[in-house]
Parts: sequence; structure tokens; C-alpha cells
Amino acid sequence: MKRIVITFLITLFCSGSVAPANDVLLKATKAITLDGPPIEPAAILVHDGKIKQIAQTIDVAGDVKVVDLGEAVVVPGFVNAYSQLGITGGSSELTREITPDFDVQSAIDWESRGFRETLDAGVTTVGISPGTDNVVAGISLAVKTTGDDVDQRVVKHDTGLVITLASDPRSRNRARSRPDSIYVRQPTNRMGVVWMLRSTLQGVERKADSAGVLAEALSGKRRIYCVSRTHFDIETVLRVAEEFNFSPVIVGGEESYQLASLLAEKKLPVILGPLRTTLSAGAEGTEPAWNRAGVLHQAGVVIAMSGPDLLEQARFAVRFGLPEDSALRAITIEPAKLLGIEDRVGSLAVGRDADLVVLSGDPFEFTTDVQAVIVDGTLIDEEDREE
Amino acid sequence: MMNLRLASLAIMLGLLTTPFSSAQQLAIKAGRVIPIVGDVIEDGIILIRDGKIVEVGKDLAIPIEAKVIDAAGKTVLPGFVDVHNPSGMSQANERNQNVPFLSVIDSIDPSRTYFEESRRNGVTTVAVVPGNSTMIGGQAAVIKTAGRYVDDMILKRHAGIKISLSPSSGASRMSHLASLRKEFEKAQRAIKAADDAPKDKAGDAASKDTNKPADATSATASTTTPTTTSADQQLSAMKALLRGEMSAFVYCANAMDVMQALSLTKQYKLKTTLVLGQECYRAADQIAASKLPIILSDTLVFWKTDPRTGDDEKIVLPKIYHDKKVPVTFLVSESSRPTLGSRYLWYQAATAVKYGVSVDEALRAITLRPAEILGVDKFVGSIEPGKDADLVILSGDPLKLKTWVETTIVGGKIVYEREKDTKLRGLLAPKAE
Repeated sequence: MKRIVITFLITLFCSGSVAPANDVLLKATKAITLDGPPIEPAAILVHDGKIKQIAQTIDVAGDVKVVDLGEAVVVPGFVNAYSQLGITGGSSELTREITPDFDVQSAIDWESRGFRETLDAGVTTVGISPGTDNVVAGISLAVKTTGDDVDQRVVKHDTGLVITLASDPRSRNRARSRPDSIYVRQPTNRMGVVWMLRSTLQGVERKADSAGVLAEALSGKRRIYCVSRTHFDIETVLRVAEEFNFSPVIVGGEESYQLASLLAEKKLPVILGPLRTTLSAGAEGTEPAWNRAGVLHQAGVVIAMSGPDLLEQARFAVRFGLPEDSALRAITIEPAKLLGIEDRVGSLAVGRDADLVVLSGDPFEFTTDVQAVIVDGTLIDEEDREE
Repeated sequence: MMNLRLASLAIMLGLLTTPFSSAQQLAIKAGRVIPIVGDVIEDGIILIRDGKIVEVGKDLAIPIEAKVIDAAGKTVLPGFVDVHNPSGMSQANERNQNVPFLSVIDSIDPSRTYFEESRRNGVTTVAVVPGNSTMIGGQAAVIKTAGRYVDDMILKRHAGIKISLSPSSGASRMSHLASLRKEFEKAQRAIKAADDAPKDKAGDAASKDTNKPADATSATASTTTPTTTSADQQLSAMKALLRGEMSAFVYCANAMDVMQALSLTKQYKLKTTLVLGQECYRAADQIAASKLPIILSDTLVFWKTDPRTGDDEKIVLPKIYHDKKVPVTFLVSESSRPTLGSRYLWYQAATAVKYGVSVDEALRAITLRPAEILGVDKFVGSIEPGKDADLVILSGDPLKLKTWVETTIVGGKIVYEREKDTKLRGLLAPKAE
């Protein structure tokens, strides 16, 4: 049955994708819009890659293709706010520790298989950040996981500045081995990492120059993503943020649940790193905690999820205690907001990009399949994805 | 003083006698029983005596002395069977490449977290099989997942010999296959010599001894002290394999290994179960034609890029074999890779359902089918009178996202209860520091 639906879709969309100006009307059993209550049944009119109308039923006439998705449930394309997807040939500059001007876009292989795998899992937009080996890593951007034209794929070029307050920048540094080498990087421990960040930020403050990536970040014009995992590193983040008066988004946050009420009070959101279901310690020796998303949510912290298969992350989060609606928010509208692109993706509403995931049923069942993904109104079927 | 002593004696006697009279009987009142063999029973009752299932059905009379487990609104299934897993061993592989006489039993550590995790996820029986990187890697054993000492857990002591077609590091496939064939030939010659020889044979008795306990009754008659030399043991184990007294788990890393496995199976009349690496799907037609039982790799869905064209392709193993009507069984992995759920048999089954396999078929693939492959289906794998009382009580329908294992029962004894699982509670309700 499922296969039949897909073949049916392919035949209907074939001409549609060639001439995207044609209007397409999608009909489904249910649409979870994240812009109000779910719509049952749902009709979505797509025009020129955007959602033109969304309602229970839409009457159309003339040159409109009608695609009946049958039993399917439609949700917004998933958004992963933090990844290193598509970056090839190293994701950090290893001869410097402070690289605020680094632009991740130049390192992306747009044809990388990672994009196709991610798209196949229903993720239509990803935030891509430079690696975490540098104290100040650089600028991240948000892109679609598919598209013919690179410029069109970039949803937002500068979503924010990424800094690392974890032990990553000190790894592989051996200060005493060759002190005169240009390849010697400085921080060799956590104190060194914090010291480098602090002296950099103090330098910006002293210059009192409003231009520059760092200055703009400190003045609140640019979002700051702060990669931090253990509870004591997150406490350091809070300390430094207070000192320099900025409001970071915590990324990784494996032990952030331990500071849940504090983060809620300071209104700091968390982009959670990939969940693990093992009983052993996580990244940087963090405590295993399967329901960290649920704990953060209950305390009132805004959360987004990251990881290779977002829907599966959300499913396990629900199994472990997060309410379903929050789990769906955490892979759609919340990450879109944290990237500053919620006017384009993350929910189904008039004027938004027509990025949709067609599911065979309830999103929160392991047996539900991603049947099709639509990006900018174009159906990405299995044939297409193999090309 | 005397009275006190008498009283305590009476109490002790009381403690001693009660378990014998009543505690051996158990009745489970289930919201739903999925017996795997036969129809689903709504509001069913399972009667258990001395660790065995006595009766299953509706409206059964519960003996007054039976302990009753109320599982109203819950679903009862046979305990899951993990068909191939080295995780119970302290070390999965041998340095010596030719060790058919070794037994995993000497290596099983019941305190490993694998067993705890198994009970937590409804697995009651596991075939502990040596790893994939030893040519002839020793004998597998089928054991229960509950018990303090391995001797209390054994269901089938000699459950098959592990053979790997993947050469060990440094060796080529040519030399690997040549040494493997050499061992088979040696054993075949020995069998022929024994058959031709006059029928007094003292030497063959030893081999008979080690091979005879090929069924579950052997659990007690176990400690055969090795009096023979290792060469004799080696030969007798290989002879048991060639005579079909012992089955073979043949690991194939890729499709070319499958062809080798099939030809070895044919040539030496092996009772083969194919342990398939993820690349083996390319030989799916040949696997289907062979009708041999198969075990899929723990990675059920993955992507491949064609090295020539650069095309990406998504490979869904359960779908490939389902389309060719090949019944499958699943492996679980020890880490959270490749997916969050691949550590759980129930998740592997749910993944198969996601790609078109029916729920009935998927449940069979984690219960009765592995039991059949392992030759222990007389004892486990379904809820039927006479079988071991190895049961899982689920909080709801199987394979559902919010369904948890509530209780796991092995041999009529409760070995896991979710409400007493403090470790799980810690993971689900982690405390702030």
C-alpha cells in the first residue's frame, strides 16, 4: 500500500517539479502544523514552493494538481539546529584557537551523502556549525538539505557565533613539545579555554568598536551558541555570560538537566546533543540520563534536539518522559527559532516554505515510516534521492 | 530459653516447608496473551507449576495455593530469544584460530550488564556464540538470562560451532578458506577411518561423550573433565559438526562469503545458520534459495554509495528479505549505534514492521524462530503447556513506543520488575546535583 502511494506521488509530481509554479493541493488525514491545533482532515495548497493556504478542505479549480496522501499524517520538515553536516576536510582551524570570522559555508560539500541520509529521515533544514576544537569556532549557517542551487539552499547565512566551553579545544595540544612551532595551540586544560575566551572578550570590550563578529555578538546583534556538556562547564558558561552580559544558547548540554531550574530562570534554551540509550557515561564522561529532555521541559527550559535521526531522537525522548507535543516542537519550531528562521521553516502556515514530511501514521510510533519528504514544494521521492 | 529455641525451630521449619507446598505454583491473569503458537487470548490465564507452563486459556480454575500475578490490561508474551550474542562472554574472540573444542560456558560471566539489560528488555534466553574473528571459534551454548552461576542458566550446552569466513588480520581469504577446508577434510578422513575400523573403538567413545549431550537434559551432566588431549578434542568436535550432531553458525562478512558458506554447507552437509554481515544482502537470492536460517546484522538500515557512479542507495535489510519471503532473526548491538534502538530486540522487530513485515511475523522472529534455529523450541519460544515458564509481561501492546517490560519471568520465577528497577528510575528521573 505504502509503495503504491509513493508511485502515485511520483507520477503526479513529475511535471510538478519541472514547473514548480504550478499549484499543488495536498490532502492528508491529519496535519500537525505547530501553528495552532492539528488540522483533521488537512488540505495544503502549495504555490511556488510556499504554503498558500492550509485548511480542512480547500476548493480548487483549474490548473491545480490534487495529491491525496490517504492515511498519511503531515508534519513540518524537521529542523536540526546544530550539526557538522557536509563539512569536509576538517571542521576546525588547528593553528589558531580564536577564529570568530570563520565561515563554515566554504567547507561544505553540498553533494555529501550526509545531506541525503538526513533528508531521508525527514530533516529538511540544518544548522551547520564549525567544529568544537576552537575556543571561538566561527559562524554557523542554516541550509536546506536538498536543492539545485546553493544560494537557494542557504536559508540564513549567519545564524550566530559558535564558542566552545568544554574540554575539546585542549585536546591534542602539547604546549611543551615544541614551544616555537606555529602548530602549538594554547589551551591545555579547561582553565586555559576559559582564559582565552575571557581575554578575547575583554579585548573586544576594551576596543569599544561595535563592528566585528565578536562585538556584534556581545552587543546582542548576533546569537551566541555555546557548546558545553558537563554541569560544571555549563556553570562556567553562565558565569562568563553574566560577566559579559550575553545570553547564550547551550549546545550539547548533556548534563544541563542538573541545572534545569537555573536555566529556566535565566531563560536560556538548550540544543540537546544526540541521546544515547546505553548505561555508560556520555560525551566527556557525562552522567547517563535518558530523560534529560523531559526534566528540562518540566522545569520550563526551551529545548531543541540534534542528532542524525531527529524523529527517532524525539521518539525516544517521548518514551523516556517528554510530552509528545514538546518533542515535536523540539525538532521543528524550536530549532527554527533558535536559528532565527521561524518565518520560513519549522511550522505549517500560510507564507512558510512548503517543507513537509509525509508520515505513514502516528509520528510517535517506531513502526511509522517517513513515506515522502517535500522541500520547497518539490517532492523528494526515493528515485530522486538515489540520483 | 528452651521455648524460644523451639519456637525458632518451628519458624525455621515453617520457612522450609512453605516453599515446597505452594510457591512453586503461579497463575498469571493477563489482559491479553500472545502465545505466538495459536490465537491471541483476551483475558487469558496462564498456570505455571515447577517452572513449567501447565495450562493456558480463558476462565481456568486457579489453584488456591498458586501465587497470582495480576496483569490485567497488560500483554503477556513468551520471553524473547536472542539468537546470537557474544556479549555474555568476558572475551568474544580467541587468538588461536582453530578452537572447535572450546565452550563459551567457561567464559560466561552472569554479572555482566548484558544479562541485566536482557531481563530489562524481556530477553529470557540467549545463545552465547563466540565472536566473528576466529576461524573455528568454539562452541555456542543456549542459556537463560537469569541466574547467579552459569551452571544454573544452561539450556543447551552444545548449541553449535562458530565458524568465521572472514580472514583474521594478516591472512588472505585464500589461505583462510584453505585452512578451513583442511580441518573439514581431516575430520572427514577421521570419520571415514572410524567407520571402516572394526567396531570396538575406544577412541571414539570420548567423542561420543562430548557430543551426546546435545539436548537440554544435559544441563546437569556437564562437567566432563578433559582427559583427552586438545588434538583429540579438536577432532571430535569437528566430527560432531560433520556428522550433523552439532550445527554451525557461519559468519559471512559479505556476499562472496555467502557463496563459500553455501558450498561448504553442501559439501560437508553442515547444519548451517548464516550469520550475515550487512553487505550480504547482495546474495539475497542465493540465501533465499538455500532455505538456510539467517541472522541479520544489527544494522538493519544503511546507505551505500556506488563507487563508480556516486549514486547513494538506502538499503533496508528487513524489506529485502521480506520481499524474497526469507524468514529472518535479528541481532542486537551493544552500543547505541547504529540507531538508538538497535540494542533492543523489540526495536529490531518494530523496525521490520515499519518496512512491511507483519507484527505477528516480527514477534515470531524474536521468540519462536530463534528458538527453532537453536533447537530449543521444545522448551522456549512460545506459551504452550509443557514449555518453560519464560514470560514477559508488557505494559501494553508489543512494539509500541510507550510499551515497557513490566515483569520478566524465567522458569516461573520473577527475575525483573520495572517498579523495582532503581537503575531505570534513575535514568528516567535523574536528580539535579
